[in-house]
Amino acid sequence: MLDSLLNIFGAKKTDYPVSEIMDRARRGRKAIYPFSNEKFRFSIYGASMFGDAKRFKTIDDVVIAPPQFTPHRLEKAIELISREPIHHDVDTSTTIGGFSTKFPLVQSSMGSQDDWNKVAIYSAKACAKLGLIYGIGENITATWGYKERNAANQPSFFERAINYLENVKDGLGGLVVQQNEEDAYDELWNKMYSDKRLDEYLQQGLIAFEIKGGQGAKAGMGGEKIVDRATAKRLKQKYTMFPDPDEIEAEYYERHSSPDIFTEEILERRIKKLHNDYPNAKVWFKTGPYRDLEKVIEIASRAGADNITVDGKEGGTGMSPGVALNDLGMPTLACIKAIRRAKEKKDAKTSIIVSGRLYNGAHIVKAMALGANGIAMGRPFLLSAYAYPFADHFIEHELYNNRVMRFISTDIIHPDERSVGFVRNFVDSVEIESKLLTAAVGKYKMRDLSTEDVEAHDPTIAESLNIKSVL
Amino acid sequence: MADKVHDISAQAFSKDIFTTISEPHMQRVYSMYDKVSASIREHLNANHFQEHKAIILGPVTDPGIRGSKQVTVDYYGYEYKTMSSAILYKQLLSAASKKAGGSGKIYFFADNIRLEPIETAQTDRHLAEFIQVDIEVADTDHFGAMKVGEDLVASVCRSMKRYEPELKEIWAFFEPHSTARGLKKRTELKVPTSPFKKYTHREVIDLINEKIDSDPELKKHMERLFKFVPKPLSYNSEIPWEYEWLVSSLHDEPFFIYDYPKGSRGFYDREYKDKPGLLMDFDLIFPEGYGEAASGAAREYEINKIIARMKETGEKLEKYKWYLEFLQKNGTATAGFGIGLERTVRYICALPSIYLTLPCPKIPGLYSP
Repeated sequence: MLDSLLNIFGAKKTDYPVSEIMDRARRGRKAIYPFSNEKFRFSIYGASMFGDAKRFKTIDDVVIAPPQFTPHRLEKAIELISREPIHHDVDTSTTIGGFSTKFPLVQSSMGSQDDWNKVAIYSAKACAKLGLIYGIGENITATWGYKERNAANQPSFFERAINYLENVKDGLGGLVVQQNEEDAYDELWNKMYSDKRLDEYLQQGLIAFEIKGGQGAKAGMGGEKIVDRATAKRLKQKYTMFPDPDEIEAEYYERHSSPDIFTEEILERRIKKLHNDYPNAKVWFKTGPYRDLEKVIEIASRAGADNITVDGKEGGTGMSPGVALNDLGMPTLACIKAIRRAKEKKDAKTSIIVSGRLYNGAHIVKAMALGANGIAMGRPFLLSAYAYPFADHFIEHELYNNRVMRFISTDIIHPDERSVGFVRNFVDSVEIESKLLTAAVGKYKMRDLSTEDVEAHDPTIAESLNIKSVL
Repeated sequence: MADKVHDISAQAFSKDIFTTISEPHMQRVYSMYDKVSASIREHLNANHFQEHKAIILGPVTDPGIRGSKQVTVDYYGYEYKTMSSAILYKQLLSAASKKAGGSGKIYFFADNIRLEPIETAQTDRHLAEFIQVDIEVADTDHFGAMKVGEDLVASVCRSMKRYEPELKEIWAFFEPHSTARGLKKRTELKVPTSPFKKYTHREVIDLINEKIDSDPELKKHMERLFKFVPKPLSYNSEIPWEYEWLVSSLHDEPFFIYDYPKGSRGFYDREYKDKPGLLMDFDLIFPEGYGEAASGAAREYEINKIIARMKETGEKLEKYKWYLEFLQKNGTATAGFGIGLERTVRYICALPSIYLTLPCPKIPGLYSP
């Protein structure tokens, strides 16, 4: 009706963002975040890749290049004696950041976002049983409590940690725990280090502390979250809140944390100090899609970090301003280039993993061929934990409309132990894909993957990554 | 615990607390504790130090303590900490005294609470609740502070020498336990000769590494005592307590280790202007295997440096608002140290473990009255 009226006046659709500007005019600063103003939301945001035009190159612009001649396959056959090698024979085990892991896939250090926190313990159990490294992100202690729950339906930090640690088998995997400035206020690492129940795991070398230097979806920005008034009042001492919950009654409050401050010296000292203060913990460093990433990697390795996690621009987020998702940060592929350069220098002892819209076996195989020691995934673990019948329908539909998934996380799905199975299924599928692809390039150890196993779709990427071009 | 050597393990100590602490030898130790305290006060007051009441609560406490957790209390809706050390207040009080035309020399018997890592329960040197005599002096550096520490320890030993007959009974009673823990048999209380020996951190690392390398017997002894195989240390690290035992046991008199590398200490220890990476700090070490007595330094007080240093240790600046504002306007050069009262009593009484100095000791991780 409106359309036909407008047609009468000869109106035409424009690519100028009229409604976006008007939305800002109506809602002000609320309009810059890609969610509605509802309390419950299901956040799997990340950079938008496939709008009107693909905006930058991704790892999908690299192909896996299998050879006809496979001397390693012959070697493997000789080793096996009586049968031909197949993908089941691929050894996926490796070491990352001082941990032995069964498969080079790390569950990213995801933080306090409501929907995720609710299912994080199931993912913890699944990862432990699968021998995968499991990360716990920032702000959980302040938001959901260290041991005691701050909210009845949300597990505390300790529950997330212990559900992982108690399920670890054969010493495979490791727990990675972030502490940002606000967590430092609560002394999370000190708490863990003097916690009787965690002591045995520290002694076994199963715990790493991860300094957070950035996040793909909001490089250079601090953590963002929205909270209700009661929470805002409780956390006011530790975070910047907008508006002031003591003064103004609002629908919700923005909880901002600072992006922290690093210089070359600060980073180096911090890593060394962690090793010194917590000799039984590994030291990890998480960085983001920064223009000086190569330098960051160089300094973190020199300072003795056990692992560096690089989160590319396409990485997921619980909450980031839309403008950051679109216009801020270096794409994952550019981060991989920096990793590749760092790995070309033979002295790199520190392992490096990468994340940022990586979600299948091809992504692992490619990233490893390009120099990464493994990859981290965040959103796939979240979505897997919610893989109940029909959930996908709701999630896709609601996200398409850029609206909330309040039904999912409140009224329809009450996640339970079945989530453990869903996560295991997901990882299993990725593992099989990785084995198939590794065997296809004639290798039987994932850690043997190298640049010869990948080629780029176009010559510019090939040149930039120092690999062959398909053309 | 009357006539023979009893179970003095941490676990047994508090089982029947009344019987334990009413035992005459324990009462003798508590009396020495009192006399050591009095001799410290006497010495400091005679040297024009001003005593302040110790600060217990505050929005922030010393973050520079390895792996130990602070205690948080709800203070009218704010999160406050109990002091793990009142170091930031020392700087404040010393600077204030100086500004008012006073001596700038202050001290307090500070109650410190540190929820130390469980592993420290094995060191015989750590308590979760203890008293640190916190001393700060204006217009001086770490060498000035070392002189104050040296005079204090010598003076305490001199005063306590008077009680040697009582001390001998204590020494004899605990001797089998003390020697089993690698402590030298005590026959007299030596009044140390000044100046104390001083080693740089680097020199001590060399000394340790050389000893470990050249003395297989010692290596075996350490393995028996501490159930681990000693390995050479790097110049960048703190000296783990087992190695500190080693250097301590090589000495008959207290000594200093100074110039620690940056990274092993808190943001408030000043860095040399001409030696980046090295701190103007020190530890005072008791001899005969007793280990660290005090830790001190010249303080960082320039606002630009302190902010950078805080970020190196991952601190949130907002937390330190009052401290940073004080330094910005009134920061001044001070130096000082904190000497463990229970550690001093342990040394004087030649006790196998530190928890024996207190009637109701809090041993890391152990439930007790």
